[in-house]
Amino acid sequence: MQKQIEKPSVSMGTALSEQQINQVEHKKGHQKKFKLKNILFQTGTIGFILLLCLLIVGALSNVLAKGMVGFLESIKQPEILFSIRLSLMTSVISTVMCILVAIPTAYGMERFKLPGKKIINTILDIPLALPPVVSGVALLLLFGTTSFGRMLAQHGLKFVFTVKGIILAQFFVNIPYMVRVLKSTIADINPRLEFVGRTLGCSQWQAFFKITLPLAKNGLIAGIVITWARALGEFGAALMLAGATRMRTETLPVSLFLNMSTGDLRLAMAAATLLIAASVISLFIFELLGGERGMLSR
Amino acid sequence: MIELRNVSKRLGDFHLDDINLIINDHEYFVILGPTGTGKTVILETVAGMYKPDRGQIYFDGADITTCYPEERNIAFVYQDYMLFPHLNVRKNILFGLKIRKTPQKVMEAQLEKMVTLLGIGHLLERYPSTLSGGEQQRVAIARALVTEPDVLLLDEPLSALDPRTKENFMQELKGIHEQIKTTTIHITHDFNEALVLADRIGIMRKGKMIQVGTPQEVFYKPKTHFVASFVGMENIYEGQVKEVNGQKVVQIGDVHLRVLTEEDGKVNIAVRPEDIILTQVNIETTAQNVLKCCVEEIIPQGPLVKVKLDAGIPLVAFITKKGAEEMELSPGRQIAAIFKTTAVHVFK
Repeated sequence: MQKQIEKPSVSMGTALSEQQINQVEHKKGHQKKFKLKNILFQTGTIGFILLLCLLIVGALSNVLAKGMVGFLESIKQPEILFSIRLSLMTSVISTVMCILVAIPTAYGMERFKLPGKKIINTILDIPLALPPVVSGVALLLLFGTTSFGRMLAQHGLKFVFTVKGIILAQFFVNIPYMVRVLKSTIADINPRLEFVGRTLGCSQWQAFFKITLPLAKNGLIAGIVITWARALGEFGAALMLAGATRMRTETLPVSLFLNMSTGDLRLAMAAATLLIAASVISLFIFELLGGERGMLSR
Repeated sequence: MIELRNVSKRLGDFHLDDINLIINDHEYFVILGPTGTGKTVILETVAGMYKPDRGQIYFDGADITTCYPEERNIAFVYQDYMLFPHLNVRKNILFGLKIRKTPQKVMEAQLEKMVTLLGIGHLLERYPSTLSGGEQQRVAIARALVTEPDVLLLDEPLSALDPRTKENFMQELKGIHEQIKTTTIHITHDFNEALVLADRIGIMRKGKMIQVGTPQEVFYKPKTHFVASFVGMENIYEGQVKEVNGQKVVQIGDVHLRVLTEEDGKVNIAVRPEDIILTQVNIETTAQNVLKCCVEEIIPQGPLVKVKLDAGIPLVAFITKKGAEEMELSPGRQIAAIFKTTAVHVFK
C-alpha cells in the first residue's frame, strides 16, 4: 500500500520538476528580455540628458570663449560700461519694486478669502504666458497712446523711450515670478504660527513682520535673485517700450543686440559673457535656496 | 469665567452646534470627544481665530465675541506646539513679553520662573527643530504661560508623546495647574487624561456638547448611550422598568436586573465591567444582581483580564489576571456574575 502511494507521488514529483524546469527557462528568457529592454531604456534616458547638457554647455562655452578674448578691454569701453551701469540700476530698481508689490499680493492671495480668487490668479499670471514683446506693445499703447499715459507723462512719469520704461517693462514681466515664489513660500508657513503670535499679543502687522516674513526669508531671497537675473536679461518688453537707443536705453541685452546688428562681435560677446555669468551665478543661488521647488509647485 | 452662549460655527467639515458652556475661574476643564468632533474649532473660536457664525463668548461678563486674539489675553498651545522655528527657546518664550514691551528685569524674572516651573533651563539656546516632542511641549507651555494669560488653551497636549512621557507630563500638568491656577481648557480624545486632570469634563459629539459634569458624574452617570460607551461602560442595554415584589427591576429579554431608579417605562441601563464580580459559588441574595452565565472569551489586557460572558444578555467583566487563574476560567465554564443594584446606572 505504501509503495503504491509513494510511486505516484514520485512520478508527480518528476513531472512537476520538468514543468518547473520549463518555467525556470521561460523565466530566464523573459528576464534576459527585460534586462535588455531596461538597459536600453536607461541608456536612452541618460543619452538624452547628456545630449541636452552638451547642447547647452556647447552653445554657452562657444560664446564665453569668444567673449573672453579681450574681455577686460571690452568691458572698459564706454558703451559696455554704460550698459552695465544701466542694467544694474534698472534691474535693482525693478526688483525692489517687485518685492514691494509682490509681498502684500502673495500674502493676500495665500491667506485671505477673496471672491474670484482663481480669476485673479489667472490675471496675475498672464504676463508669464505672454511673449515679452507683446507685453511691451501693451505697455507702449497704455502709456503712449492713452490719456492715462499722457497724464502720467505730464507729471514726470514718462515711460515711452525712457529709462523709466525699461524699469516698468522689467517690473511687468517679472512680477508674476516674484508673486509665485512668495506665494508658495507663504503657503508653506503654517498660519497657526501667526495665530499663536497674536494670542501672545501681536497685531496682524507684528505677526507678519516678526513671524511670517522672517520665515519667508529663503523664498524671498530666491525670488529676489531670480527676479533680478531675469530683469538683467529683459529684452523684448523693454525694447518695445523704451526702444534700443545707443547710450540711452542700452542695457546689456540691448547692447548685445545692437552690436550684433552692427557686426561688432567683440562687444556683443562681452555683453553676452556678462549676462551668462550673472545668470549662472543667480541660478546657483536660487537652487541653493530651494527656489525651484517653490517655482514649480504652483 | 468664560461663557459660551449658543455658539455655532461651520468650518469645512467641522462644525460647532449651539454650544453652551460655562468655565469657572481657576478650573481645569477638559473637552473630551472622538477625533473630528470640532474640539479644536471650539478652542480656536474661544481664542479668536474664528468668529462664531452665531452666539456670543463672554469673559468675566464682557462680550469678547468680536475681539481680536491679541485683545483677549488667552494663550494657546497647539498639539504640534507651533514654536517659532526661526527663534531659539529663550526668544520663543520671551516673544510675548517683548511684544508687550516688558522691562528687561521683569522679562528675566518671568523667564526664570518658567524655566524652573518646566525644567527647561538647559534648552534655552537651542532651536525648536533640535528638541524632542516632550521638550517642545514644555517650551510651548512656557511660552504660553509667561505672559500670565487669563486662560490657557491646550489642544491635545499629550497625544504626540510616548506613553511613559505622557504619564509623567500628565502629572506635571496637574502640578503646574495646582501651582499657578490659570483657568485651563484642555481638549483630548483620551478619557484617562480627563480622569486624571479634569475638575469638570465636557463630552462632545458631532459638534454638540452632550454632557458636562465632574469626572465622577460622567464616569458613573452617563446621560446617553454614546457617553456611556465612550467612558468605557461596556454593558449597555435597553430595557423596560417593572416592579416585582415592591422592588424595581429592568427587564431585558428574559433577564431581570434589580435597579434603584425613579425612571419608568423604556430606559437604558449601563454597568461598568469593573463593578462585576465573578464567582463560582452560588449566592442567593436580594441586595444584588446575580446572573448565571457561561464564559465565552477571555482576553488578556495588561494586568487585567476582560471576560466576555453570556448571561442571557452579553456581559463584559474585568477581573485581575490572578483572579482569573485562581478561578481557572476557560470558555464554556459556568459561573456567576454579581453586581450591586447601585452599580446599575439607569438613564433615558
